[in-house]
Amino acid sequence: MHDHGSSDGERHRDSNLNKILLIGNPNVGKSALFGLLTGKYVTVSNYPGTTVEVTYGNAVLNKVRTIVIDTPGVNSLVPMSEDEKVTRDILLTDRADVVVQVADTKNLRRGLVITLQLSEMGVPFILDLNMDDEAKSRGILIDQERLSHLLGIEVVKTVAIRRSGIDKLLKGIQQPRQSSLEVRYDDAIEGAIRDLSALLPEANISRRALALMILAGDESLKGWLHANMQDHVIAEVENIRQALQSKYNNSLGYLINQRRMKKADEILAQVLSLHESGKGSAIAFHLGKWSMHPVYGLPILLVVLYVVYQFVGVLGAGTAVNFLEKGVFGEYLNPWAIKIVHFLLPVPFLQEMLVGDYGLITMALTYSIAIVLPIVGFFFIAFSLLEDSGYLPRLAVMVNQVFKIMGLNGKAVLPMILGLGCDTMATLTTRILETKKERILVTLLLALGVPCSAQLGVILGLVAGLSGLATVIWLGTLLAVMLLVGFLAAKIIPGQPSDFVLELPPLRVPQLTNILVKTVARVQWYLKEAVPLFILGTFILFISHKVGALAYIQKMTDPIVVNFLGLPSRAAEAFVIGFLRRDYGAAGLFMLAKEGLLDPIQIVVSLTVMTLFVPCIANFFMMAKERGMKTALYMVAFIFPFAFGVGGAMNWILRTMKVAL
Amino acid sequence: MSEHKRLDAVEGKAGHPALCVLPEIEKEDELLEIMWTLREEGKLTHDEVLQSCSMEGCEAILKDLSKSGWIHVKGQAIELLPKGEKRARELVRRHRLSLRLFYDLFALDGAEAEACKFEHILSPEVTDSVCTLLGHPPNSPDGKPIPRGDCCAMFRQEMKPLVAPLADLMPGEQAKIVFITPGSHSRLDRLSAMGVVPGSIVKLHQKRPSYVIQLGETTIAVDKDITKEIFVKKV
Repeated sequence: MHDHGSSDGERHRDSNLNKILLIGNPNVGKSALFGLLTGKYVTVSNYPGTTVEVTYGNAVLNKVRTIVIDTPGVNSLVPMSEDEKVTRDILLTDRADVVVQVADTKNLRRGLVITLQLSEMGVPFILDLNMDDEAKSRGILIDQERLSHLLGIEVVKTVAIRRSGIDKLLKGIQQPRQSSLEVRYDDAIEGAIRDLSALLPEANISRRALALMILAGDESLKGWLHANMQDHVIAEVENIRQALQSKYNNSLGYLINQRRMKKADEILAQVLSLHESGKGSAIAFHLGKWSMHPVYGLPILLVVLYVVYQFVGVLGAGTAVNFLEKGVFGEYLNPWAIKIVHFLLPVPFLQEMLVGDYGLITMALTYSIAIVLPIVGFFFIAFSLLEDSGYLPRLAVMVNQVFKIMGLNGKAVLPMILGLGCDTMATLTTRILETKKERILVTLLLALGVPCSAQLGVILGLVAGLSGLATVIWLGTLLAVMLLVGFLAAKIIPGQPSDFVLELPPLRVPQLTNILVKTVARVQWYLKEAVPLFILGTFILFISHKVGALAYIQKMTDPIVVNFLGLPSRAAEAFVIGFLRRDYGAAGLFMLAKEGLLDPIQIVVSLTVMTLFVPCIANFFMMAKERGMKTALYMVAFIFPFAFGVGGAMNWILRTMKVAL
Repeated sequence: MSEHKRLDAVEGKAGHPALCVLPEIEKEDELLEIMWTLREEGKLTHDEVLQSCSMEGCEAILKDLSKSGWIHVKGQAIELLPKGEKRARELVRRHRLSLRLFYDLFALDGAEAEACKFEHILSPEVTDSVCTLLGHPPNSPDGKPIPRGDCCAMFRQEMKPLVAPLADLMPGEQAKIVFITPGSHSRLDRLSAMGVVPGSIVKLHQKRPSYVIQLGETTIAVDKDITKEIFVKKV
């Protein structure tokens, strides 16, 4: 075994580029390790399933140029969600020199089930027992040498977020081996494995492992099978599986996993020792419990919301925005820019384009840097704190029942909350959901009703000038619309809701550096997405203004905007831009309100319409990419008329009932 | 008669279910049961027994029972002798437990007919297991009392079934998973990937707003529906 492993490694080192694959259960620290090895930042969080895509990073490890590949966490290499499939596929199709299995030391049992599967696959790998500190503080001790002996591979211990044990890991990855361990199944299963192996093509992983995947009923393997085998062979494969399954009551997948579990337990019994040294952090333990308690959970949620509001809404959207917009941009940057442009470019057209009312500098940059950036930045800091503390999964427990109404379950809370930061980013994260139905539902609800932080900032600014009742009407309408649309869409969209089975990680004290690095990465991502769109949007506005198209559009949309929604004609301008980015549209409304052109009812109506718009062009592209162009177009075709419809109804109700706001 | 018995034996081996004609010993059983039931109703007399008996040759069997010391017959009065009393009690217990089993657990129509067959097959150990599984029920579905067995005595303090759905645990309680009856294969696979398998020790943390369970160092939130399908035994 050993010889085979190293010669394998030799062959691939020829290419001069070493390839390391990180694999493991969700939330065991793969991304943290990836960051350490490559110095490249990826989202590290205390929420299972944050990594939904494969990430590649370059590094020079042990003086060898290396590609490190980070993968979404898996509970089994027989995938049950899209992100798990990504990981399995990379093992299937991408030959790595070293696979590093990252395991949570205190949860080794589940890690070992993956170890056994890697061992079946015959890939050269090493096992990294990460989060050793947490295990120790809970009195869990793993006999590393004995484990290494039993598995026949290198085993190292690390605490990735503290860089501890990294040298040993680097040494370990020089000696990857195939594990000598083998799980024996029932004679009938073993027989079927033999029969299947004779039919299967050569692959990156052993035929035995492939055969077991097929027996376990891995439907996601279908594509690969059809690409690599002829139809009549596949039919034969199917027959073998069916014949074997008919011998058992339980699904083969379950039986196979059961056997692996048993083996894992046998190994664990030999390497695990428990010491009475407390149960981890008592405060974290109790806080974790209270935060999902039916009674205490709610006040905790309200406190969290209040703190987040104070931080993002008051400090970020208020103080920071004021400082940047009025101070930095209003007093210094914009006046300077105007002077410089007027001095350097004596062409009125260009001057107006850069520093006029719809100027790229005075409008687009001011808006994106002075208003959006601080709000988004503050939101992402708050979100990262929530995420790393492990509070979000507990929030999922709290809202599970409400989400059920919308055909979803608590798991959808992560994309929904992230949507409050950036809907585009959140749409990408819908991959952590298990069924297509749920992914479509969340994508729709994000596009429809979840305002992103940039928009929220502007909205909060607008609403601040209104009564509490106005805020309640706006928020209430939004929530009612989401519940209603979710409820109805869940009935229409075919498919099954998935089970709510969510792992709750322990509450942890967030690492400051991780929070900062993560926030910077997210803000960068955001600016890269948003700023070009701001500039494009402003440019379109400017041109439309110049050629008089704006006035034309206003005239065209007057029946809807003026008669139906009861808004001033100029609000059309905001809506046009709202097609591009809804926060930008909201900012347009903000301007109108500041000029005193909107009464309170008009503000609430126009805000509601704007909030229900598709977030931005980028979000639309992401919808198309993730859900397909057809689905995305259907959604858009529904959302825009629907948004106007809700606004019209609201206008009518508020006016008829003569509500004073 | 001997012809019948041989035929039955052969059929039994081949695995055929119900016998059309009751063998002699089962006829005795039937009669003992009838007597037990009549006694409960307070009308155990010789004539009543013959009236309630739908089988052939009841009178002869009654005589046989009397001869072999199961019962004592004196005119109209019939008395169950100690060994007859024990046999009848066990029979009735098996019959009524079987009724419960088919009625409650399998929600079967025609539970009565099935129970009649079942009562003759159950061994004492299996009877106690069934009784325990059902939580030592005091009555059969028709409201008649189920004679207590040894297993019930041990649990007289606490009439909780030994094996119950995880959903029935109280928050804070620990139990061992005995079996899982999942709604779908994928659900079972998902649970097992997280370590929710028979043999694992599980602790229920809370029931609302969602169920939270812990296995080893893994804490998992799950739907209530799922916890109804996980059967556990308290430890």
